[in-house]
Amino acid sequence: MARYVAGRLAGVVLILFLVCLFTFIIFFTLSPDPAVMICGKTCTPERIDQIRDVLGLNQPLVTQFLGFLTGIFAGRDYGSGANLIHCSAPCLGYSFQTNQSVWDMVVERLPVSATVAIGAAVLWLLVGILAGLLSAVKEGTWWDRTAMGLALGGSSVPNYVLALALQYVLVVQLQVLPFPQAVAFGDDPVLWFQSYLMPWIVLATGYACLYARLTRANVIDTLAENFMRTARSKGLSPALTMRRHALRPALTPIATIFGMDFAALLGGALITETVFGLNGVGKMAADSIAKNDQPVIMAVTLLAAFFVVVGNVVVDLVYTRLDPRVRITTP
Amino acid sequence: MSELLEVEDLTVTFRTTRGPVDVVKGVSFTVAGDETVGIVGESGSGKSMTSLAIMGLLPKGARTAGSIRLNGAELLGRPDRELRRLRGDQLSMIFQDPLSSLNPYYTVGLQIEEMYRAHRGGTRKAARQVAIAALGQVGLPEPERRVDHYPHQFSGGQRQRVMIAMALVCEPALLIADEPTTALDVTVQAQILRLLADLRRQSGTGMVFITHDLAVISSIATRVLVMRRGEQVEYGTAEQVFAEPRHDYTRMLLESIPRIDDEVEEMTA
Repeated sequence: MARYVAGRLAGVVLILFLVCLFTFIIFFTLSPDPAVMICGKTCTPERIDQIRDVLGLNQPLVTQFLGFLTGIFAGRDYGSGANLIHCSAPCLGYSFQTNQSVWDMVVERLPVSATVAIGAAVLWLLVGILAGLLSAVKEGTWWDRTAMGLALGGSSVPNYVLALALQYVLVVQLQVLPFPQAVAFGDDPVLWFQSYLMPWIVLATGYACLYARLTRANVIDTLAENFMRTARSKGLSPALTMRRHALRPALTPIATIFGMDFAALLGGALITETVFGLNGVGKMAADSIAKNDQPVIMAVTLLAAFFVVVGNVVVDLVYTRLDPRVRITTP
Repeated sequence: MSELLEVEDLTVTFRTTRGPVDVVKGVSFTVAGDETVGIVGESGSGKSMTSLAIMGLLPKGARTAGSIRLNGAELLGRPDRELRRLRGDQLSMIFQDPLSSLNPYYTVGLQIEEMYRAHRGGTRKAARQVAIAALGQVGLPEPERRVDHYPHQFSGGQRQRVMIAMALVCEPALLIADEPTTALDVTVQAQILRLLADLRRQSGTGMVFITHDLAVISSIATRVLVMRRGEQVEYGTAEQVFAEPRHDYTRMLLESIPRIDDEVEEMTA
């Protein structure tokens, strides 16, 4: 097991290195000259040269890439002499737009994205799995058809449409919710909750619909398994038969999918955050791409890759706990 | 011999889009407290539906008519709550494919324990001892260790032994074995048949043995019911059915058995 984990972690490091490399190549060689962008409107050739020198843009690409990697693990210096700026590890450079440290930006915004992701995940797991379970147990009834019809419809509504519709109905027309505001939980828990409620609902809707359909299909398949017939032939109570024999086999694959969906969301919910003006990693990604802020683009890409890759490893490890056939292979 | 199970004019009907279909048509037979009755027929002959009807485990939408009595008490039409108390306790069943019939997520010990506790109650610890004893009884080596193993850690024959241990853990009055050896290879088949016959004799359990294999039936059953397309085509003692089959279909089934006896004689000669 220890060897397996070590192997997987080595794989993680390799994948993240490759993501770094390709992102670097794509954003630093295929996009416009960053020095010109930073320089802005009142620009002189001397100033452009100076910026190039400070950012190390005159150096070969390999040196630049190594500099970027070193920055993450050991910190790095920009410029020299009087212009010297030390960026301590983990250094992801400075935003071309705001000159803010990219690492500080990430640290500031990650909690927002995590809040959005966790709240939405709780919501979609509850609603999706419960609806799917009920549908499976009541297969073919009006409840099943209505729920699955809604699930199909719900998963087809784009997030931004749902977000605008919710805001119009709940905030503008019915006025049951205030307009979402950036407020810390400690300052005003009620307003905090009200502000995050709509993002949670919007983000959770698509997933809840998907999970309801998945749960329904898995439970129906499991109920048809031979071991369910055995469980019934043993005279177990319907509750125990369902809880022990049907739910665990049916929900284990959902745990896997959930792990990966959730990990991906930690890298930012781009559309939801942007529509609601939440300062999360997703909005940071959208803004940086719109303004070609390369260090920030690098950071959000790496961050998303990090969560997805690590999420995958965690899911695999958890799966070996959930399914004894994976855990124990020796007879 | 008093009759343990009396099945009288049993009919099982499924509603389909093309109207009702009778999958079992007027089947009648009895099982005494201490004998094995074989039900033979090709797939689709209604033999499994007959056994599921006895267990009260027919798929939703199936309708039954006739009578199934266990120790004189009618089973058909009883609410599921009452049938559940009988299932596993008075009536027990083993199935064809022992791997898919055991839940892969739980140890065999837990799967035996939960059945014992559903009917007899008691602590997990006590039930675990019962499970270990049951596994030992069906000839699994090292039952104290094996009780904590998962189904996939057993071979096909061992899994069927686990199923048998489970089915017999509450000492049922009637055991229904639905093709218990079909998924196993021939040498293991013989071992399982012998085990079933021995355990049945020791515990005095009545048994309904379902198979498509007449050769298997001849070695284990005292009475034989031959089914075809839901109908009962022949019913009598094993000697009767094998020596003087009254129905053409039985004769055809008998003729389709490979003549193993002759080959064995040649080989030992």
